[in-house]
Formats: sequence, C-alpha cells, structure tokens
Amino acid sequence: MMLEVSHLVVDHGKLRALWDVNLNVSEGQRVGLVGANGAGKSTTLGAIAGLYSAAGGSIVYSGEQLVHHRAPDALARGIVLVPEGRRLFGEMTVRENLRMGAYSGRTRGTLVEGLDKVFALFPVLRDKQAQPARELSGGQQQMVAIGRALMSQPKLLLLDEPFIGVAPILVDEIMAALATIAADGVTMVLVDQNIGRALRFVERATVIQNGRTVLEGDSATLLTDENFATTFMGLD
Amino acid sequence: MNRAVFAVVATIVVAGLAVLPLLGAPYWTTFVFSILIAYVLAQSWDWVAGEMGYINLGHYVFYGIGAYAFAIALSSALMPSVPLAMVIAVLVVAIVAAVLALPLFRLRGDYFAFGTLALLPLAEVLTNNNTWLTGGADGIVLPVAHVLQAAFWLALILAVASFAVTLVINRAPFGFALRSIRNDEEVAEVIGLPLLPTKIKALVLSSLFAGMAGAIQAWQMSYIDAVTVFGLNVALVPIAMALLGGSGLRWGPFIGVVLLAGIQQWLLVNITMLQATVYGAIILLIGRYMPGGILRAGILRGLPWLAPLTREHGAFVADTAIDQVVSSSAVMSAEMPLDRIAPRGTETPLLVCRDVAKAFGGNRALAGVSFNVAQGEIVGLVGQNGSGKTTLFNCISKVHSLSGGEIRFSGRDLSGLRRDQMAGLGVGRTYQIPRPFGDLTVAENVALSLMFGPQREIPARALTEARSFLAYAELDHRRDVRADALSLQEKKLLEFARALATRPKLLLVDEIASGLTPVEVRRFVDRIRAVRDDYGITVIWVEHIASALNAAADRIIVLEQGQLIADGPPAVVFRDQRVLASYLGAAEVVE
Amino acid sequence: MSIDVVLQVLVGGILVGGLYALVAFGLSLIYGVVRILNFAHGTILAVTGVAASLIFARWQLSPVLIFILLVPSVFLLGAVFYRGLLHPLERRSPLEATIGTVLVTVGALLILSDVTAVLAGPTQRNIMLRSPVIEVGNIVISVTQLAILAAIVVMTLVIHAILKATWFGLAVRAVTQEPIAAELCGARSLQVKTLTFGVGSATVAIAAVLYVLTFPVDPYMGFGLTVKAFTIIVVGGIGNLPGALIVGVLLGVAEGLVGLFWGPEWSPAISVILLLLILVAFPAGIRWRRG
Repeated sequence: MMLEVSHLVVDHGKLRALWDVNLNVSEGQRVGLVGANGAGKSTTLGAIAGLYSAAGGSIVYSGEQLVHHRAPDALARGIVLVPEGRRLFGEMTVRENLRMGAYSGRTRGTLVEGLDKVFALFPVLRDKQAQPARELSGGQQQMVAIGRALMSQPKLLLLDEPFIGVAPILVDEIMAALATIAADGVTMVLVDQNIGRALRFVERATVIQNGRTVLEGDSATLLTDENFATTFMGLD
Repeated sequence: MNRAVFAVVATIVVAGLAVLPLLGAPYWTTFVFSILIAYVLAQSWDWVAGEMGYINLGHYVFYGIGAYAFAIALSSALMPSVPLAMVIAVLVVAIVAAVLALPLFRLRGDYFAFGTLALLPLAEVLTNNNTWLTGGADGIVLPVAHVLQAAFWLALILAVASFAVTLVINRAPFGFALRSIRNDEEVAEVIGLPLLPTKIKALVLSSLFAGMAGAIQAWQMSYIDAVTVFGLNVALVPIAMALLGGSGLRWGPFIGVVLLAGIQQWLLVNITMLQATVYGAIILLIGRYMPGGILRAGILRGLPWLAPLTREHGAFVADTAIDQVVSSSAVMSAEMPLDRIAPRGTETPLLVCRDVAKAFGGNRALAGVSFNVAQGEIVGLVGQNGSGKTTLFNCISKVHSLSGGEIRFSGRDLSGLRRDQMAGLGVGRTYQIPRPFGDLTVAENVALSLMFGPQREIPARALTEARSFLAYAELDHRRDVRADALSLQEKKLLEFARALATRPKLLLVDEIASGLTPVEVRRFVDRIRAVRDDYGITVIWVEHIASALNAAADRIIVLEQGQLIADGPPAVVFRDQRVLASYLGAAEVVE
Repeated sequence: MSIDVVLQVLVGGILVGGLYALVAFGLSLIYGVVRILNFAHGTILAVTGVAASLIFARWQLSPVLIFILLVPSVFLLGAVFYRGLLHPLERRSPLEATIGTVLVTVGALLILSDVTAVLAGPTQRNIMLRSPVIEVGNIVISVTQLAILAAIVVMTLVIHAILKATWFGLAVRAVTQEPIAAELCGARSLQVKTLTFGVGSATVAIAAVLYVLTFPVDPYMGFGLTVKAFTIIVVGGIGNLPGALIVGVLLGVAEGLVGLFWGPEWSPAISVILLLLILVAFPAGIRWRRG
C-alpha cells in the first residue's frame, strides 16, 4: 500500500471535522473520495498534504508514519495537493506560478524540462505564460494549478474539486490530461462533487459521511449499487 | 459576589475615598487622583476596545483636546467659569470625535490601531504650531490655584460614573451591539444593526469621558503643554493598564490601573533613568506573554476566590437576564412570536431579479440571472459548487453590490440600500458556514436579532422571546452555552433561529441541511414548510440534497456557471437531462 | 520667491521622499508576508542613524564600511526580534494576536528610543562629509546628495530584481498573495517570515545610513517616519514597489513645499492629514492594477 490512512481524526479548533476516516491507496491507483458537502473530503486531503494536524489515527505513506508533518514535509516525500479553489498567485504570471511549484528544491535544476512537460500537457498555457494568473479563465487557471503541482514531480497527486468553475469543454480536456498524468505512473486521489464523473475516472472509491468512512469499493460496483445511489446521493 | 454585599462594599470604598482630601495628606490625595483619572481613561478606552474590538491607540488625543479646550475656555477673557469651560470642553471633544470617526472606521484591526496612533503626533504638531490658540510650546498656565480637593471629588464622581456606565452598557442593547461588532461585523449588519452610527456613538461616548478627564486634570495641574497631553510615552499608559488587567473584563481596567500605577509610583521613587524603557518593557512583556491580561492568566483563573474578578462581561449579563427570563415566563412553547404575513394585495412578485450580474475581477460569478419569487413560495436553488448560488444570496442581502442588473424586493429597488436596511425590509438569511457570535450565549445570539429588528426590543424581553425561537429550532436546552461551543449541527440550528428572529418576509437558507443525517434533513424539510405554512414566510433554499428540495419546494431554479438553466416544478426540473448532467452528473444512476 | 528656491526644495524633497519610499518598502514587505504592522519600523532608522553617526564621529570610518557593518546587524536583530517575540503570538486567538503584536512593537519602539537617547543623548546628529558641490543654474547639489540619489535608485532596482528573479523573492510574493498555496509549494512559512522580517528591517537600515549623510536624526524621530511609511503603503498599495517610490517622492516634495510656503514646523503634519483625507475619499482603499 502506498498510502494507508486509518481511523483519522482531525479537529478544526473546537469542532471535530473528521471522526474516523480510512483510506487506502496503492501505487499507481486512481482513487475517488466522495461524499456530501461538509462530509470531510477536503479536510482528509488537507491532513494528508500536511495542512492540518491529525488529532488521532495514523497516516502511513510508503511505510513511513507521518506525524505532525507540514505541507513542505509532505511535498518532500512526493505528496502534492491541488487545493480547492485553485489558490493561484493571482498577481504573478503563469510562468511564475509554475516556477513556484518547483520551489521545494528537488526539481529546481530541471525547471525548463518541467515547464516543457506542463506546456506539452496544456499547450494553451505556453502562450499565456507571461499573463497574470488572475486574468485566465477558470479552466485555464485550473490547468495552472495542476501544472504547478506537477512541477515538483509528485508521486501522489491529491486533487480537490478540480472542476469547479471550469467550462464543460475544458473539463474534458483536463480529464484527458489527468489520464495522461496517471498513465505516467502518478497515483491520484480525486475529490469531485460530480459523483458520476468521478466514479467513471477512478478505479476505487471511498465514501465519507459526517467525517466517517462509510463505504469503500470498486467504482464499477458502486455505480450500480442501488443503496449507494439513494443513501448517498440523496435521490429518492 | 452577592449584589447587596457589593453595593455595601462599593459605597464604603467610595465614601472612604471621598473623605481622603480632607485628611491633609496631599501626597496620597494626588496619587489617588492620578489613579482615578487613569481609571476613567482605561475604562472608557475599553468600551471601544474590549467591548467593540477596536484598538484605539489615539484615545489620549481626546484627553488632550478636553484639557486644551478647558484651559483655553477658562483662560479666555470672556467668561472665566469652570462649569462653562467644562461644557465647552465636552462639546469640542464630542464634535472632534464624531468627525474623526468617519475616516478612522474605514480601518480595521491593526490598521485601525495604527491610524489612531498617528493622531497623537498630528495633535502635537497642530498644538505646537497654532500658538495664537494654544500658546505653542510654552503651553497654557491656568488662572487657578488650590483646587486639588474639588478636582479630586470631580475625578471620583467621573470614575464612579465610568464604572456605572460600564454596567449600564453591558445590559443595554448598545452593549450587545458593541459585542456583536466585535464578533462579526458583517453578520451584525445583516441582522439589522446600523454599523457606522453605532461605532460613532461608541467612539464619541468613550472620547467624552477621556475629554472630561483631561479637563479635570488640566484644572488640577493648572498648567498644560503639548508633550504632557499628546506625548507617545504618556498616551499609551492607560491603554497598557487596561490591557494589563484584562481588556473586556468588568474588573480588568480597574485592576490594571491599580497595579501599573503602583509600579509607576515605585519606579518614580527608585529609578531615575530609563523610565520609558522600563515602561516599554512592561508593555512589551504584557504583549508577549499575556495579551489577554493578568485576569485571564491561567493561574488566576484557577483561584476560586478571584472568580468574581475574572469573569467575562457575558457571564454577568447572562446571570441577570436569565433571572428575569425565568420569572417572566416559565413555560416555553414552540410557537414563535411572529405575526402571520398577510397575502399581498398586488400581483407583483415579492422578489424580482432581472439580469443580475456579479463579477469578481475577471471571474463572472453571476452572468445575468433573471427570475421572480412570489410571496408564499418555497423556491429550491440548486447548482454545482461555484455556480453562483451563495453569490446570489449575497447580492440579495446586499453583502455584495451588483455589477449589473437589478433586484427589487416588495416592489422596491435595492440599489443604494445598506445591509442593515435589508433586515428592516424583511430579508433574513443563514450562512452556509455558520457564523454565530462566538463568545455570546446561544440565547444572546438570537436575542440580538430581536434587539436590532424592526421592534427594537429591550434585552430582557428579547432574551425571553429568543427562547421561543430556540424552542422552535429545538435548541432551547443549549441556550446558556457559548455559541462557539456548539457542534456544527447545532450551529446550523442557531443560524436558522437567528434568521427567523429577524422577522423576515423572505428567508434565504444556505445549505442548512448539508452534513446532516436523513432524519435530521427530514426535520428541516418539515420546518421549512412550517415556516411558510404557519407564518407565511417566503423561502429560497439552497441545498444539494435533491430529495429534500423535492419534498419541500414548490419550484426549483438551477444555476450553472452563473447562468440560470432551469426554472420550474421539481417534478419537471429533476427530470431535465441538462440539469441531471450538469448538476448530478449521474443521469444513468437515476434512470 | 524665485523659481530656484522652489527647485532647490524639489531636489531635497525627491531625496528625502526616495528614502521614505525605502522605509515604506520595508514596512510593506513585512506586512505583506507576516501580516504584522511593526510600530517600531521607523525607529529602526532613528537608532541605526544615530549609531552610524556615533561610529563615524568616533572612528571616522567610511560610510561604506559603516553600511557593511550595520546593515547585516540590523538584519539579524530584525530576524531575532520576530522569531523570539512576535512569532509565538501566532498561536493565540486573532484578537489576542493583534493586541499582542501591537503591544510588543510599541514596547520595542519605546525601549529603542529611550535607550538610544540615554546612550547617545537626545540631540540631533548626522554625518558631515566634505564633498564638492555641483551647480546647475542656481541650484546647488552636493556630490554626496547625488550619490545618495544614485544609491536609492540602485537599491530600488536591487529590491525589484530580488523580488522578481530570486527564489526568495518569488516566495515572498507567493506568501503575500496566497499563504496556503505557498506552503503547499514547499515554502516554509516560519523561514520565509523570519527572513522577510530581517530583510524588511535591513531595508530601513540601508535607508538610515543614506539618511544620516544629509539629514539629521534623533532618537525620537522614528514614529513620525513609521506614520509616513504607513501613509505611503496605504496610498501606494501593499507590495507595490513603483507605487511606493512615486508616492514617497510626492510626499517628500509635498513636505518640502509646505515647509517652504507655510513654515517647516508644518511639514510633519502632512502625512497624517493626507492619510485621513485618503481614508475619507477612498473607503475601500486605493486599488492599483498593474498592466
């Protein structure tokens, strides 16, 4: 197992956000993390990426237990989060945003190659590289966010709602790019509110409800599971 | 502390102080006089800082203006009368404070602290340069002598008045207004509090006391110059005192003043050099190790016999208010004291949105949305995250101003209205991520809506009525708990109760049921329908749970990328292929 | 009054305004990254300036050497000050953190001024260099002044280059705009903040050495400078280097002209009055858009 999250507990101040989250990801796999708004998907990804400290349970990555790790520590091990809402450096150019992705050091030497790879994946960014990131459309901004994450050559890519505010045509393009990245051997955990879309992309999925893992299985099985559709998606 | 015991002790202490000037101990009289003045300054500063959350580092400016206005009036040839000079001083300070409030309250947090601190050097320059009025660097010598006794008594009266005002503020709607501003300005405004007038009132009141203290001090010293009333070193002392004791605590400023004044006196006697350094070090150390003040330090909190001193204001208020509540109404029903809204005579819809557009930079959150809501309807608003639902709510409740288009409510164009006026018109809302006033109790949270609402209820009555709203939301058993100690689900219930307490005609409900169990979701469906059926309140409900909206709503509106893509009965909209594809992304699962 | 006098005042205004801009830039750098308004910021200039003049008076060291001696020291002190006294406050509630940082920096301001005044005396002092003067028409400019002007320009370009081209500069801008994303990119916030506090303080030290070469300094002048720097960043925008330079020079010139036409004692009031007027005129703050 590449990533083993067991019985994870996370508190936001006085409020408990995660009670008991389990998530297993093996190398090279695409895993979906689904659940209603406020169920704890973002918090789970944030805890793995080192944005939040665990108050209980464990996160084991490649056999190493991560304790009170910060985001730069996660990054050094190849865990990278593409955060919800993209969080680009709006006043900086696209190229600077991508450069910042290589900040951690390991990949500073191969900056040009890294940029070329991102531009090969998202050709539209090559022409826009001198523009401030805030001027881009939602979909292009998402490409920059993913590209920025790729600049550090991640082994495990955590994607939090990468399709919010993205025009439908660009959703397909980004999906295709993600498939290419996955084909390169990058492991992925995807959070997407569009469950059908998410389940079609991933191989396995974990369902979270009120901060607890309630269901886990092959995406194909889940897609046809009646029980899943009614209880989880709120469709009577 | 028992209130009767406190009254007796306080009377004895004040009476004891009142005879002090008669005992022929000028050193002690002067020392206590300086403590009284410092207390007035520290306490009046804390009305703005501890209660309202604005750190006014320029408080001393008003002290100085009071002193100068008094001195100039008294030494003018026209009419050298002390009472008249006092009145003039008070008037001048009030006007200056009201005028300065306008630019200063554009600032928040440390910017506000900074902007106010910058007033001190400005005042010093202006005083030194306007020699014709202020005597410039020479200062003003007052034509008085031997007024220590009278000044002492005045200072004593003013100090007692400061404490009394503190008590009164805490129970009055004004005090609740200040505390709500400290917690969350935007929410306070949304539930109907006019922000700027409240802030101006607070600053003027606090400045008045500082100004009177300045006038009395000038009278007692019979000489003032710019450095003594606007100098940076002296100006920060009362603030350091309040913070040392514990800003926002009833006894904080008092304890801080006594402690620091004692230390200061000791320094004056024992240290000749580097006094400002020692002072600076004290301020720095308070900031570094106990920015909450001595009375909030963990060690003192643990001492039971100090408990009366270390309690927060809120604890006192809850005490007294709950006494009244219990006596006035023993039984609580789940009926809210709301009048049923009568059907409108006209055919015009209650809410009209026409081409509503909102852009943040290059991001078009709403790109021309048009729809109407008739009175008495329950409308479900759905769409993916980021499709513009919350932005639309923010536009209707005036949290955002429009980039284009028009919104009319009850036939009235909303452009140009402030947020607090929206509450007055009858638009209430909940927040997707609950935003309770964290350090107030649950009951107070709801009571605030009633106090700022159209009926401007007094706190005792508002706290009583709040229980009906809480009972309706099934939260009454938690009424005395601090709101930030609630669970997420309870906070959502509190949002609901608080919004209803604004007595809305239109209620905007933002994802109140997300993260709840199916049973709890069902409860909310019932509540939303009851709110409409029993009280006639129109509802727009944003939610991701299709089954809930299917059960509750008369009509569903769907947003995608800031545009309206469907508007119709749930049975039709939830069968629409485009809606299913865009919003649920799971068409094949449903079929 | 002849036009020459006005021009002469303009030259002085540009010079002092450029130095204000340097001070402001340090403040804005720190505020952008650390989100702390350092009330003692201008006092660093007063203290460093006094120290520079004392060193010069005692050992006759060249200003360049004084510069090399003082700037790194101030960098170190700034970093230690942040790490030891301000950073620990981050763990507290927002209101306590605000109160705490205000008290700590105000306390530092009082201590720095007082200790300097006790050690060096409260008098005004500066470094008097003999330097030839250049006359352009009737305007007199000393070579020292020209050198200072050149130094301001060079420093502005250097800071600009650091922010644009170095990894540190990139991190500073990234943390200013999106601290969480910067952390996700591997920028350790404590490290970046500590360095930034040091660099921001060192910027003031640079301005201090240049300042004391033409203008007198005293231990108590610091807060007035902080006010000016604050006005400049409110008008010019946080992290906007060209904006700070333009506003700084305008402020310097305005002070010079007010001093000329109205009396020098009025100059210190300009920045505060300007600040208040701007707050009334632009409630939401001035929005600068690049490009």
